Amino acid sequence: MVGGWWSPAVGLSGIGLIAALEVERTDAGREIFFNVQQPWAVYVFMASLVGLLVYGFGRHAGLWLLGRPTPGVGLFPRHRARNALRLGLGQEKIRRDRYAGIMHWCIFSSIIVLTFVTAQVALDADLSIHFLQGNYYLFFSFYGDLFGVIGLVGVGMALNRRYFDSYRRLRWDERLEDHLILWGLALILLSGFAVEALRIGASELAEHEAWARWSFASYGIAKLVEVFEFRDGQLLGAHTWAWWGHIVVAFSWLGLVVFTKLDHLFFAPANAYLLRTDAPGRLTKIENIEEREVFGVGQVQDFTWKQLFELDACVRCGRCTSVCPANLAGQPLSPMQLIQDLKAHLADVGPELQRVGHAGGDQRAVSPVAMVGDVIKDETLWACRTCGACVQECPVLIEHVPTIVDMRRYLVMDEARVPATAQAALENIEVRGHPWRGTTLTRESWMEGLEDVPAFDGSQEYLYWVGCSGALVERNLPITRSVFKLLREAGTSFGVLGQEETCNGDPARRLGNEYLYQILAQQLVETFKAKNVQRVITNCPHCFNTFKNEYPQFDGRFEVLHHTEFLAQALTDNRLRPQHRIDSSVTYHDSCYLGRLNGVYDAPRQILEFLPGAAVQEMERSRSRGLCCGAGGGNMWQEEVGDRRVNHVRAEEAVGTGAASVVSNCPFCIQMFEDGIPAIQPEEEGRMRAFDIAELLDQAVFGPAGAGAGGGGSDR
Amino acid sequence: MHLVVCAKQIPDPETPPAAFRIDAAKNEVIPAQGIAPVLSPFDAQAAEAALRIKEQSGDGKVTVISLGKESAQAAIKQVLAMGADEGVLLSADEFQGGDSYTTAHALAAAVKKLGDVDAVFCGRQAADWDMGQVGLGIAEELGWPSAIIAKDVKADGGGFIVQRVLADGFETVKMAGPAVITVSNELGDPRYPKLQQIMQAARKTVTTWTPADLGLQASELGAAGSRLKLEKLFQPPAGGDVQIMEGDTPAEQAKALAQALRDAKLI
Repeated sequence: MVGGWWSPAVGLSGIGLIAALEVERTDAGREIFFNVQQPWAVYVFMASLVGLLVYGFGRHAGLWLLGRPTPGVGLFPRHRARNALRLGLGQEKIRRDRYAGIMHWCIFSSIIVLTFVTAQVALDADLSIHFLQGNYYLFFSFYGDLFGVIGLVGVGMALNRRYFDSYRRLRWDERLEDHLILWGLALILLSGFAVEALRIGASELAEHEAWARWSFASYGIAKLVEVFEFRDGQLLGAHTWAWWGHIVVAFSWLGLVVFTKLDHLFFAPANAYLLRTDAPGRLTKIENIEEREVFGVGQVQDFTWKQLFELDACVRCGRCTSVCPANLAGQPLSPMQLIQDLKAHLADVGPELQRVGHAGGDQRAVSPVAMVGDVIKDETLWACRTCGACVQECPVLIEHVPTIVDMRRYLVMDEARVPATAQAALENIEVRGHPWRGTTLTRESWMEGLEDVPAFDGSQEYLYWVGCSGALVERNLPITRSVFKLLREAGTSFGVLGQEETCNGDPARRLGNEYLYQILAQQLVETFKAKNVQRVITNCPHCFNTFKNEYPQFDGRFEVLHHTEFLAQALTDNRLRPQHRIDSSVTYHDSCYLGRLNGVYDAPRQILEFLPGAAVQEMERSRSRGLCCGAGGGNMWQEEVGDRRVNHVRAEEAVGTGAASVVSNCPFCIQMFEDGIPAIQPEEEGRMRAFDIAELLDQAVFGPAGAGAGGGGSDR
Repeated sequence: MHLVVCAKQIPDPETPPAAFRIDAAKNEVIPAQGIAPVLSPFDAQAAEAALRIKEQSGDGKVTVISLGKESAQAAIKQVLAMGADEGVLLSADEFQGGDSYTTAHALAAAVKKLGDVDAVFCGRQAADWDMGQVGLGIAEELGWPSAIIAKDVKADGGGFIVQRVLADGFETVKMAGPAVITVSNELGDPRYPKLQQIMQAARKTVTTWTPADLGLQASELGAAGSRLKLEKLFQPPAGGDVQIMEGDTPAEQAKALAQALRDAKLI
């Protein structure tokens, strides 16, 4: 579970253990509280620390409890416990940055083991169970030193990254506590070694040098100190100072847990436990929406307590912001800043909200500023692509996207404050059942020239769901035709709905109009049930995600496949035979809603392997690290604000591979590339081309002439 | 201040050309399958103008009136969601098949029945037939002053200051109330309703008035009272003819294009 990361340390400890068992039986041991007067003071420190922790977390908890109930948090405790182990203690996400992963593991394992070491000393002393003796004492000395060294390696790596590396994200929101924590930890470890070395120098070295060797690092230091020939009294004096210094630094550092990001020690695993257990691409349903007084989240107390809790887990590492497509394009969104701003706002208004809440007053009148609008700007919320890259990277499992969408819901439904172009799309969905204002196409335009397009009547196995973008946007018609022809070629039993298709609500939901979404979803679930739809193949990853992950919220349970999944299977089963050579280099762009949010990375790549002569050139950001095309989260219908357009950033990356074409699986991605590539390659000659993967497969199966041209069948 | 908005439900002006069909024998538009009728966009702007004045005056009331079939309830509800207070639907067989004159006649009768109206707002024209006559017709029937194609309207005492769009600029007129004002798209986008308002609008009941309620005879209304006769409704055949301009350089091509346009007496 924790992977191979523990292996070297465990291996070394194992060797130490075997060695300790192998040596002659010994009566090794040492005096606890050696050379320390008034050791009871330690327990005063301990009691103060516990008091501080109780007080600090009590204050935090009071703020979290301002939130609304968190639905489903009591469900699936085993699944959640696994998450807490795998993602919390196992730190799976942290390792997505290798350097930071090693660094953090070193510090983490060192703190865990050394706490265990200290606890044993305390047990030995307080309960008078004297087990720190004999061969175990030797082994104990060994692994204590080993993990002290490991901790120092980790701290060294951290110091290097913070002060000597040109690592930007750490400096986006650097604070005094970041330095304190790091130097404090360095000081704890160094003073620990000093105490140990001075004790050895003052006693063990002379009496039992063989025992002392087991504390290999401290022994080395003691030997060095020996060179200077201090008198015993001097060593003992220094030892006392070091011992108390170590204790004071250690307890002070632990006190930081209450006031700084060090609280992630507790909050990160807890947040991993609280992590959603359903599909990452699913947004929460507002139950009984018609009875709500506030529809979205306009003030902190509108969040769930889990959403407030996770604000405290943030350690400002900046991983979210460093992968955010909006941020990469210089647009006004930094997920990290958003979380920090909300956290600061909660600290500002929280105590007063608690007071007013207890007094039975009007909590909505408390905040002197508007959380949505002043603290978090409208344009910040609109810049989000809902691509999930931030959520994917967050090592402490914060879910930024649902929080952002909740605030959008407030903007749209409570305040009716919507950018004009997004408003036009929403109104169009409401009035015309699709977001493509001004299209001159009908839902049947793509059928022109194709013979016998079967209408779905409930007798066929699959419904082929074309979607608004597949039917009403000129560029996408060839894709729809290609998928259609390939389905037919593979002998699939399927039909289409034609004019009866209507928007399934995805853009409305992502733009924050949950009410409109629910109306559309309920209607379509009824239509599907009435028509006996069991299995659906979609063109569009957004439709795919909606049907697959969100319609179960409306009691619509269907088997949903994206066309790439279906086509990859058809190729594997030999129902499709690509015979015509493609002979071209392609790069593959993972759409967020198929890739990151639904984990379909392999099916499209399998199709590419079947294409004769196609050489695949992966982009640096691919699979779960893929970068959004810029259209997600309703940004297809918004004017972009900022330095660059996201699709220009992504097109540049695609062009950078040197491939002749970029292939994707999503009508929005294709449109964004068609628009973005000319900005990067102004010259038409040699310009990269954008295709849906079905279009390439169409060429490989039917030959270049038949591709997307609506020829209506095979050229064989 | 009591303001009236006249709202018409029309076939969707964004109906794709391929879905637009007419019944040549009956001289009628065949409603496109699966494409719902909409509130005429200019009327949404008229509602926006009235609502802005309601907000400006602080204690105004807006009533929306539509003449049409039962389905026009949807258009009325849309304006109610934007913030109008009451809705009236003029719906009966007698109203059907009319022209601008009979429509203005019926709407004016409804305004009279409401009584204390300070202004009537209409879209500059309905986006289906684009006649632009009804607003002026209502003014004529009521004997009120009118200002058409407004881009901005402000209340001014009992009257209004209206900025009008002209072919070559703008004109600001000051008029006494009660008045009829028709509103153009230059006014700006109509507001997006809050969900709370949409739900309130859904719960409101729309009053339906028949000719009898307005004290009108069937002969004054609908097809019977129409002064306009539609002779022939037809669709021009769709088609295109493309001529590619030859030339080695863009400049030569432009020259050839200019010459072709001159030859065709277009420039």
